[in-house]
Amino acid sequence: MNCPVCNQPLIILELNRIEVDYCTNCHGIWLDEGELELLLQNSDEKNKLFNSFLIDNKSKEKSVKCPICFKKMDKIICGDKNKVTIDKCRRQHGLWFNKGELISVIEMGSLDKHDKIIKLLREMFSYNLS
Amino acid sequence: MWELIKSNQRKSIFLFLGMAITLVLLGYFIGSTFSPDGGGLFGVSIAIIIWTVLSIISLTAGSSLILSISKAQEVTPAVHQQLFNIVEEMKIASNLPAMPKVYIINTEAMNAFATGKNPSNSAVAVTAGLLSKLNRDELQGVIAHEISHILNRDTRFITYAAVMLGSIVIISQIFLRGMFYSGSGRRYGSKSKGGGQAQIIFLVIAILFAILAPIMARLLYFALSRKREYLADASAARLTRYPEGLASALEKISECTDELPSANKVTAAMYIANPLKKKGMKLSDLTSTHPPISERIKILRGMMHGVNYSDYQKAFSTIKRSSSQIIPASGLSDNSAIPLRESSEQLKEQQSAIDEKRKMGNIMMAVNNYSLLTCICGLKIKIPPAFGTNKPEIICPKCGNINKLELAGRI
Amino acid sequence: MTFIIVLLIAIVLLIIFAISIYNSLVGLRNQVKNAWSQIDVQLKRRHDLIPNLIETVKGYMNHERATLENITNARSKAVSAQGVSEKAKAEAQLTEAMGKFNLVVENYPDLKANQNFLALQEELTSTENKISFSRQNYNDQVLFFNNKIQMFPSNIVANSFNFKQEVFFEVEDKAERAVPKVSFS
Repeated sequence: MNCPVCNQPLIILELNRIEVDYCTNCHGIWLDEGELELLLQNSDEKNKLFNSFLIDNKSKEKSVKCPICFKKMDKIICGDKNKVTIDKCRRQHGLWFNKGELISVIEMGSLDKHDKIIKLLREMFSYNLS
Repeated sequence: MWELIKSNQRKSIFLFLGMAITLVLLGYFIGSTFSPDGGGLFGVSIAIIIWTVLSIISLTAGSSLILSISKAQEVTPAVHQQLFNIVEEMKIASNLPAMPKVYIINTEAMNAFATGKNPSNSAVAVTAGLLSKLNRDELQGVIAHEISHILNRDTRFITYAAVMLGSIVIISQIFLRGMFYSGSGRRYGSKSKGGGQAQIIFLVIAILFAILAPIMARLLYFALSRKREYLADASAARLTRYPEGLASALEKISECTDELPSANKVTAAMYIANPLKKKGMKLSDLTSTHPPISERIKILRGMMHGVNYSDYQKAFSTIKRSSSQIIPASGLSDNSAIPLRESSEQLKEQQSAIDEKRKMGNIMMAVNNYSLLTCICGLKIKIPPAFGTNKPEIICPKCGNINKLELAGRI
Repeated sequence: MTFIIVLLIAIVLLIIFAISIYNSLVGLRNQVKNAWSQIDVQLKRRHDLIPNLIETVKGYMNHERATLENITNARSKAVSAQGVSEKAKAEAQLTEAMGKFNLVVENYPDLKANQNFLALQEELTSTENKISFSRQNYNDQVLFFNNKIQMFPSNIVANSFNFKQEVFFEVEDKAERAVPKVSFS
């Protein structure tokens, strides 16, 4: 699987038996649909998470393609004040965080209903965040 | 054992002959539409030539063809030592002259198949899903079933039959399409000749037959493969002396909902369980390549007192309430009492979905030659071969430690 | 004249027949030997694995010295055993010692999480399976060969060329005994 931004092969990081894909070049992170399901225990929670997202059609950010199906991904707005845009596959293959986005999303905790993901990512990338 | 293989083949030969007759008749009728006298024989010879050529191709390149269609990758013992151990155990138990090659199919579906033109030149393939979800005894049961197919010469026989089915389908298709596009022209041409009447009759028969032959051949092909599944189950129980292993493997396979994307209706007959099970499986037993899995499980679990062939036949008759002989008579004369053995594993806690997923992921990555670095902070870094050597180190995003890529080992 | 020719032909046929029986006996005896060498390979493999196993578990199992010593002793006895029946007996003792060890391992969760140990245990399990399967195969071959020696007419050839019956590799198998053979028919 290649990074949707810089097209380099992603490496896989495993912590507490959860895997994420990571680009050593741009420090972006791909969260696989299957890993989300494991993280959220069941797909109901995953649907809840996805439903809580606001799709932004007018985003000016360069669109990227899902590394699994190579289809354009949706731009998702997180947070109220400092809006951060992450990418989500329309076919629900997973989520893509650019480097800065991850920090912002973690800091504002806008996903706090599902803070398991945040906790894991915070731990996994504690060096990058500091 | 030899006697068993032979009589097994004698039984199947009727079904096989049925397919051959279908092929010959198809050639005859089609040939006759072109010229009533002599054309029939010409058609037959064309049909036989097509079948022979296809057979030769499939016998020389068949195994590698099937393996590549199924997206199976050959692996070394380093990828999955246990799988190799089990294959070797079954090779010893069945007295196979050579170790089969071992392949893994990178998919979450659970299935397995064997191929090969003879016992000293064979291969078994299993999916990553199967490897991660089965315990040792269950995997042994599945491998024993596959080795039995090799031992009973099923792999070769099914290849012949599949090729014959393929030839019939091809010939019918070409004929029917030819009729559709150029039918009118020929009709006018033949009316002026003397044999016109006979030719029209032949034409009607040929069209009917070209439509029916592939269906008939398919039914015969499926019957052929169904029969062989029971015998392979019986042999597997005998080889492992532990029918529960295969039974519980089949149970897990039947509960798994993932379909195998690389299988089709013809290669389906080669798998341990129908890889295309979900759609209209109940529709009819006639069009299924496999006996119902629940029945196979019940029969295996019915073998409570021994694992030789007569025990399987007894269990079969009790479950199916039928007196049909599934095991050839020579197999039944084998009365040496072979007792069951105990489970080799202490009952393990059910592995969680997350463990299963990790195990499967690791198998798939090992097949694709990923390497593994474990950082001092405990973070595991798995690197695809495409990552290349141009970047000699990876900075751990968790603790900042610099990990040298050259220290990476196998997964 | 014709009588002599018929007699000659009969003698020649008889000799050919005897030769073919002789050859098949030699073939069968070779198969027995081959089957035995297969067992031998696996037995050696088990003997090689056990010191590694002891080395790996020593640190974890301070309280099980007796069990481990038991295995080491059984192993050295098995290594030095000669001949089929003596080997069978020694190997049976080794299997029993290993069985006890496997029961004890259950009390050491740390050990069961050790990758090195797990790999060794898989190797040992597999080797024991291979031993039992090749034993089965060997005994099948011996049975076949011994039957041939006893049966007419091959027994005549066997006796005159001094073919001896081979010994079965018999092991007291507790797992086999544990299942009572019941027949309702």
